[in-house]
Amino acid sequence: MKGAISKFRRSMISWPKPREDVRFSACHYCDTLHEAPPVREGKSARCARCGGLLYENQPASLRRASAFSLAALMLMALGHVFPFLIMDAATLQKKLTLVGAAMSLMADGFQALGIAIFLFTMVAPLLLAGGMIYVCLPLMFGRAAPGAFLVAKWMYISEPWNMVEVFLLGVLVSLLKLAKVADVHFGVGFWAFAGVMLCTAAAVSGIDREELWDRLEVAKL
Amino acid sequence: MNSRFPKAADRGLAGCRTCGKVSPVTMGCCPRCGTHLHLRKPDSIRNTVALMIAATILYIPSHLLPIMTVVELGDVTHNTIISGMMTFWRTGAYPIAIVIFTASILIPLLKIIALSWLCAAATGKVHPSPKTLGRLYWFTELLGRWSMIDIFVVGILVSIVQLGNYMSITPGLGAIAFAGVVLLTMFAAMSFEPRLLWDRLDDMNPAAPDAPVEAATLESGS
Repeated sequence: MKGAISKFRRSMISWPKPREDVRFSACHYCDTLHEAPPVREGKSARCARCGGLLYENQPASLRRASAFSLAALMLMALGHVFPFLIMDAATLQKKLTLVGAAMSLMADGFQALGIAIFLFTMVAPLLLAGGMIYVCLPLMFGRAAPGAFLVAKWMYISEPWNMVEVFLLGVLVSLLKLAKVADVHFGVGFWAFAGVMLCTAAAVSGIDREELWDRLEVAKL
Repeated sequence: MNSRFPKAADRGLAGCRTCGKVSPVTMGCCPRCGTHLHLRKPDSIRNTVALMIAATILYIPSHLLPIMTVVELGDVTHNTIISGMMTFWRTGAYPIAIVIFTASILIPLLKIIALSWLCAAATGKVHPSPKTLGRLYWFTELLGRWSMIDIFVVGILVSIVQLGNYMSITPGLGAIAFAGVVLLTMFAAMSFEPRLLWDRLDDMNPAAPDAPVEAATLESGS
């Protein structure tokens, strides 16, 4: 009886699995092949040889990922509208937005640097948060959005290139550099981007890769 | 081949690097997400070494050339990464000086050294100890992005300090060289194949394949 209950409970907390005879998982670091039974919610399976993470079962993964990425998207919009640095020098006031920073580098003939800033602080976070919500929200209702596989793939590709936190530290350093020349302070944009950083970090750590792809596979059938 | 820990590659199986699904490598593409399947990343060592050599060469001009030029009331000063750090140090802003030193000077250098070491271990030139090296690999992947900080600082300063004749800042070639160093080391870390370290270890201590090849048991934990 106890076994039956735990089996029932396991089916409740786990996601629908694609039909396979035996599930395997290969460690990304040492390529050791494991049989991959489902794990309980909140638990993770680690490689028996090197200890690398194989897969996990995160509680409320899709809900958390969609909620945090929606918040990140909204904060991102705020961060682009409001300046992140405001400088008062003598009589004039200068406000700096993220787009402005990238554009002025391009105007100075450093297109490559402008594009780099554009990609790492605008495109990558947008792909990450936007892609996550595009994939996860329909999946909560068991549907796969059109092109969801491609979007999910790009979401994972953009992950290491999201450098919002590095950019924020850069803003901090610039503020200290400018402090001796002019009166500089943070704008709303800075705090919005700090929020973007926290929300994307929460969304990325909340998403369960195994669950996402399994659900996509089931929804496609 | 180590009998205690069966390898997916020995059975012709490949774990997809995007979605993690294990499928026969003969399928070519992952049946779930369409990513190309490889037993090992192709030409991993060669690509990593090539990218690293390029990064090492660029590292020199990135610190010699100015990353930005400040024109203040007609006075022109060229700022390199090191001179910017020294200014912070002299004015007593030690934490910021240390952050810049770590992000711009130390991390790229450590990353190049760490990746060279990993490549040497993967080709068997030094004895591989995959657990430590794996941690080293993970660490280099994690830290690399923080080097971009100086590029962002240049971008911000160039665009905000445009005060006509009073003061203006223009970016310098050093910034491009440094961005190149950061990107090349990031690509080098991505093209490295950590599984080669374990392959090397198994080649060195071949265990008698007495036990049947069976999937290893899982350790569950939080």
